[in-house]
Amino acid sequence: MSTPEAASRPALPVVEFRDVSKIFNPGTPKAFTALEHLSFSIEDFPNRGEFIGIVGPSGCGKSTFLNLLAGFREIYPPSSGEILVRGKSIKGPGIDRGMVFQKYSSFPHLTVLQNVRFGMDINRKRLGLEEKEIEASARDWIRRVGLDGHEGKYPHQLSGGQQQRVAIARCLALKPRILLMDEPFSALDEPTRLDMQRLLVNIWAEVEATVFLVTHSITEAVYLGDRVWIFCRPPGRIYKEFRDVPLPQPGESPLEAQKRPEFQAVVQRVADEFRSVDRTMGARSGPNGAVVPAAQAPGSKGG
Amino acid sequence: MRDGKKTAGGAWGSKLLIRGRVSRAGKIILGVIPILVILGGWSLLTMGEAEARVISPLILPSPWEVVKSFPSLWFDAELSRSIIASAWRVILGFGAAAILAFPLGIAMGAFGKVRALFEPLSVFSSYLPIPALVPLTMSLFGIGELQKVMFLGLAFFIYLLPLFLKSVDGVDNVYLQTAYTLGATQWQSVKHVLLAVSLPGILHAMRLGFGIGWTYIILAEMVAADRGLGQIIIIAQRRGPREHIYLVLLVIVVIAYLTDRLWVRLSKALFPYLEAK
Repeated sequence: MSTPEAASRPALPVVEFRDVSKIFNPGTPKAFTALEHLSFSIEDFPNRGEFIGIVGPSGCGKSTFLNLLAGFREIYPPSSGEILVRGKSIKGPGIDRGMVFQKYSSFPHLTVLQNVRFGMDINRKRLGLEEKEIEASARDWIRRVGLDGHEGKYPHQLSGGQQQRVAIARCLALKPRILLMDEPFSALDEPTRLDMQRLLVNIWAEVEATVFLVTHSITEAVYLGDRVWIFCRPPGRIYKEFRDVPLPQPGESPLEAQKRPEFQAVVQRVADEFRSVDRTMGARSGPNGAVVPAAQAPGSKGG
Repeated sequence: MRDGKKTAGGAWGSKLLIRGRVSRAGKIILGVIPILVILGGWSLLTMGEAEARVISPLILPSPWEVVKSFPSLWFDAELSRSIIASAWRVILGFGAAAILAFPLGIAMGAFGKVRALFEPLSVFSSYLPIPALVPLTMSLFGIGELQKVMFLGLAFFIYLLPLFLKSVDGVDNVYLQTAYTLGATQWQSVKHVLLAVSLPGILHAMRLGFGIGWTYIILAEMVAADRGLGQIIIIAQRRGPREHIYLVLLVIVVIAYLTDRLWVRLSKALFPYLEAK
């Protein structure tokens, strides 16, 4: 999966995985290979980051991948291989990698404004931030995610979509180079989900971050992504990459864009490939939700 | 489902419905019935002249005799001073226990090694019979004021620590992970996430514990207390009047209820975000 042309560019790749594997409970009967020999590198474009949509059947290592890149101590370091961000091996979590979770994560005891300020407040000394800057930046981000007027509210007074807006604003206020999104819109209803997609398209143009978005919606991955990766298992790895994916246009409604035939055709291609992953994996649910026994599924490895 | 709304009307719905709703008036009526039955039965058993009663007034005084004994409880047994003495012991014991259990509970909830260090002891002590701590503390601290406060402190500590720990454990990992990705140091994560998010749970644990404390006070004052609610009960049991036992029990319930309301007030004042609509 590595991109050889990256080497010819002077700029270091923003993210590079070198032969990364992750085995849980190694050496025990419960040993489980979540990721195996994962290698890729994502270039650092000068003015905009790439948006990578990641789909795959459950248990294929998508979340393991995101959590490894986030550097969470529960899972980092990988069992083998190396993870580099702008040429440097990561040591743990860092403010260069922001993350938005599926679970609502706004601190319940803080208002919207205090939540958005949180990252800047705790890094005040390290980043040399002034109170005025923090306040202005927080208010600016609240406005950009469309929450102006809600500054003084507490998380439990907000809808699910609004809570995810807080999470996005809080994360982007620290200007991360990389944004990790783990099914951020999965708990939302469909109209809210489309709103959030529109928001992401609009603000992503400004933030210049490389985004990894894990989602169970192929449509969402195709709509938001520059590329779409399909993960498969076992063991978890990138099974297929799509690079010729239609780009969302800021201003166009997500629903309109997703209705266009060209768009639908790409979704169809990705979906077909997704199903072939299911088949190579043996007993997985078929297209109609029926479980296909392993013996009946074709054993051929696709792509 | 169909007649769910109908039965919400009164106390006398024709059927018992699983998780059926009862109206406010219905709840009051139903709730008062057992109390009236007990008072009625009590009055019946203690009716008439002392000699003609089923149960001697020395064993069970009538409800009216209990009420009539209030002046003697207030003036002769010095109820108000006893309340203050008991409250002071509860507050001292509780304060000492909370001050120790709070940092320990946070540290155990935050750091696996601290938890591994103290958890066996905590589990062991949670199975200790609390009344057995009375003779134990007496042999260690004598029979003075120190013993009473130490007993209450120990009992509170044993009760509070696991609840504090549970509050910290209840903080969702997603808050910690969020703080890490926002660049929080270990110390900042403990302070701004584990501590801050678990505080309402910790206050709730203190509220429960304080309520329990008013039941321990009797044990604490069983022996050689010069004053206190427990002491009044012991004296009344030995020398009479028996009426005082019933009154003091009532007083303890009222105090426990009122202090519980205070805790609720405190919680609302400290954590307005739990209430905001």
